[in-house]
Parts: sequence; C-alpha cells; structure tokens
Amino acid sequence: MGLIARAIETAGIPTVSISITKDLTESVGVPRAVFVKWPLGHPLGEPQNAAQQRTLIFDALSLLKTTQTPGIIAEPGYRWRREEYAEPVWERLRD
Amino acid sequence: MAEQQTIYEKISNRFFAIPTVAQWWAKRSAQRTAGLVDLSTGIPFAQLCKPLHQSKVALLTTGGIHLPSQSGFDMVNPDGDATYREIPGDVAIEQITITHKYYDHTDADADLNVIFPLAHFRDLVKKQVIGALASRHYGFMGHIDGAQLPILNERTAPEVAAKLRADGVDFAFLTPA
Repeated sequence: MGLIARAIETAGIPTVSISITKDLTESVGVPRAVFVKWPLGHPLGEPQNAAQQRTLIFDALSLLKTTQTPGIIAEPGYRWRREEYAEPVWERLRD
Repeated sequence: MAEQQTIYEKISNRFFAIPTVAQWWAKRSAQRTAGLVDLSTGIPFAQLCKPLHQSKVALLTTGGIHLPSQSGFDMVNPDGDATYREIPGDVAIEQITITHKYYDHTDADADLNVIFPLAHFRDLVKKQVIGALASRHYGFMGHIDGAQLPILNERTAPEVAAKLRADGVDFAFLTPA
C-alpha cells in the first residue's frame, strides 16, 4: 500500500495512510501514516465501533493538516479492545 | 475468481491477526522489500493546499474490495494481483464485496468501515468537515510480491494517481488490509 501512496504523492496529491505494520511503513517510506498495533484486517478497528473508527479518521485528518515533513508516522498508542472512544470533536479540524 | 481457503490458510490468517505476529511479519517483509524503494531520492511529499472543508477526498484500500459485477482478484498467483477496481462514488455500500484470502476479513464483511470507511466519509461531507467525495474510489489487493510488484509500481499505481488528478482530488485516504 505504501507504494501506492508514494505514486499518488509523486503525482502531487497528498495522502494519509493508516498503518498496522510499522516496519513495512517505515521501510517503504510512506509520506504520512497513523500507526496502530492492531490485528491485520482492522485498520480502523472493530466492526460496529463507529467512535473508534471515526477517531482513527480524525487522527489521520489531523496529521494530514499538520505535517510539514515526509515520513511522519503518528502513534496514538490505542490498545486493541482496551480503550473507550468518544465521537471526535470535528470542529477542531476547521481552519 | 473464487476465494477458497485451505485449512492451513485459515489457521495462518488467524495467527497473523495477532498484533505481535503481524509486527514480526512486517519486520521480515520490510527487510525483503528494502531494495525495492530508492530511499535516496527521498519520500515524495505534497502539502494539502486547501482547508479540509473545501477539499475533495478519494478512498483507497488494499483490502481486496470490488463490486459483484467486477472480476475478483487473482487468488491463484502467489505473487498476488496488482490490478485495481474502480468503486463508483455513488455506490450502495452493501453491494461491495471482498476477495482476499490472505487476511481474515470476517469483521470487514460484517462492517465495511473497518477497512473502507465510505459511510463515515459521506457523513463527514454532510457535516462539512470535508468538502466532497471523489466520483470514484479504488480497491487494490495487498499481498503483492515478485513479478506483480513492478506492475504495481510502474503501471497500476501511477495510473490511479493520474485518475485522481483527472478527478480533481485534493487528498487520498489509504487503508491496508
């Protein structure tokens, strides 16, 4: 997936990726990613857990807005199935 | 192509779903792909040049999604399948299906938002957090290796990048399997 992100970014379009495999994301040189140590097949978390999924989207969009240098991997550190999530405050992404 | 898993593949997918095992696998894959990317040229980088609420987003996943009317991904070639499927922006989400035997997609089948959060992004457009959704999104299959890697790198990934440009996409959101 990192290779696809690189191709898009090379075409001048910013990307933000979710990563569940940190070493691979680092070695491929992904432009921006939010890393969570979660099971494969669950980049946004558990099924029917909208607050968790939307929190990851919020973190990714925040990263997209703020990064000035390539290769940043944000690590919010959410533990698998051991966190309580709330609906993000989307207004914070407003300019 | 039908996705028929052997018992070995089913067990293997369960095993690799354990986060620590996934990290170990990632470390090994990282060593194998080290020569693939020329990091001396740096990491490509483009800045978002508009506020989010004026930006158009396209979603991409390597989770093996496609429509029933499109052919599934090649589950026979051990190098994977570097092709992609276009998902129309106005798709009925429940129509989207997954062909990918290299990860356990039981949870993604139960709630597609786990790998392809189109429903959430539609809501974010409604909330005016994001400006708009692109008229098409893209499904790839992960697990690309060997002879399929240069196809992805030199043909299909740049092709999708060009389509994103043609569609006036301001940023792309990518999720792995």
